[in-house]
Amino acid sequence: MAGPARRWFEDIVVGEEYESPGRTVTESDIVLFAGLSGDYNVLHTDAEFMKASIFGERIAHGLLGLAIQAGLFSRATPAYATLGSAGLRWKFKGPIKIGDTIRVRARVAAKKEIAEADRGLVTLERRVLNQRDEVVQEGETDLLVERRPVGGR
Amino acid sequence: MAAPHRSYFEDVEVGTVVETPAMTVTQAHITLYSGLTQDAAEPGAVPDLLPLCLTTGLGWRIEKPPLAVLAFMGFEWRMVAPLRVGDTIHSRARMAAKRSMREGGVIVEDREVINQRGEVVHQGRFTFLVAKRPT
Repeated sequence: MAGPARRWFEDIVVGEEYESPGRTVTESDIVLFAGLSGDYNVLHTDAEFMKASIFGERIAHGLLGLAIQAGLFSRATPAYATLGSAGLRWKFKGPIKIGDTIRVRARVAAKKEIAEADRGLVTLERRVLNQRDEVVQEGETDLLVERRPVGGR
Repeated sequence: MAAPHRSYFEDVEVGTVVETPAMTVTQAHITLYSGLTQDAAEPGAVPDLLPLCLTTGLGWRIEKPPLAVLAFMGFEWRMVAPLRVGDTIHSRARMAAKRSMREGGVIVEDREVINQRGEVVHQGRFTFLVAKRPT
């Protein structure tokens, strides 16, 4: 088979763990995400207002951290034959500040067969850690992953 | 000088439904999103987390002043149907519950992302910590 290897539902083993490279979250990331999403909440955009807050400075949008984590996950493991996400349950535990370096640790928590014969559901437990190994976000994501095609390798 | 308009914990009424304006999801949104995050999708498809990001911004375009959010605590989210480039989405949110805390209060919101045919494509439940009105 040509092309990069993709891991089918059958190839993924419950208990597997992955860790991504790190990524430093910059002011530019936050400004771009505010522009893209339209979320200009003072938490992310007003440095003066945030000096007086419990965080002491602007923080990244929680959803930016989640989206960066999704990107980092794709660098943590050979690609799954993912068809899409079915859902997630997510907690924001602490702030991501400008200059923080985050990475994702993931573990395959469960695999489930579903009604559609060509795919299965893979549940991953994920933790987003900063440079001090503090968990800033964590949760579970459900991915729909293709089964190995009949007659395929 | 008037303080900026914000909605505080006390202003939230359980049962209130808020509907946002709509926006069309374009290839430009996907290019920007995937370039920023490295989170990608198949050609023509919309990355799974992008509609959620866009509807958060749509929530700022309603007449009601924005919630004085202190922290986004967490959420559950389900992708019910796929979205394609060119689909037009908006969101509908219902205040499901509120609970007063010592510092601020917790607001639970049920949110749906709806396409141009009125179909719910994504849905879930959000939990926010919101400031109380300054005394």
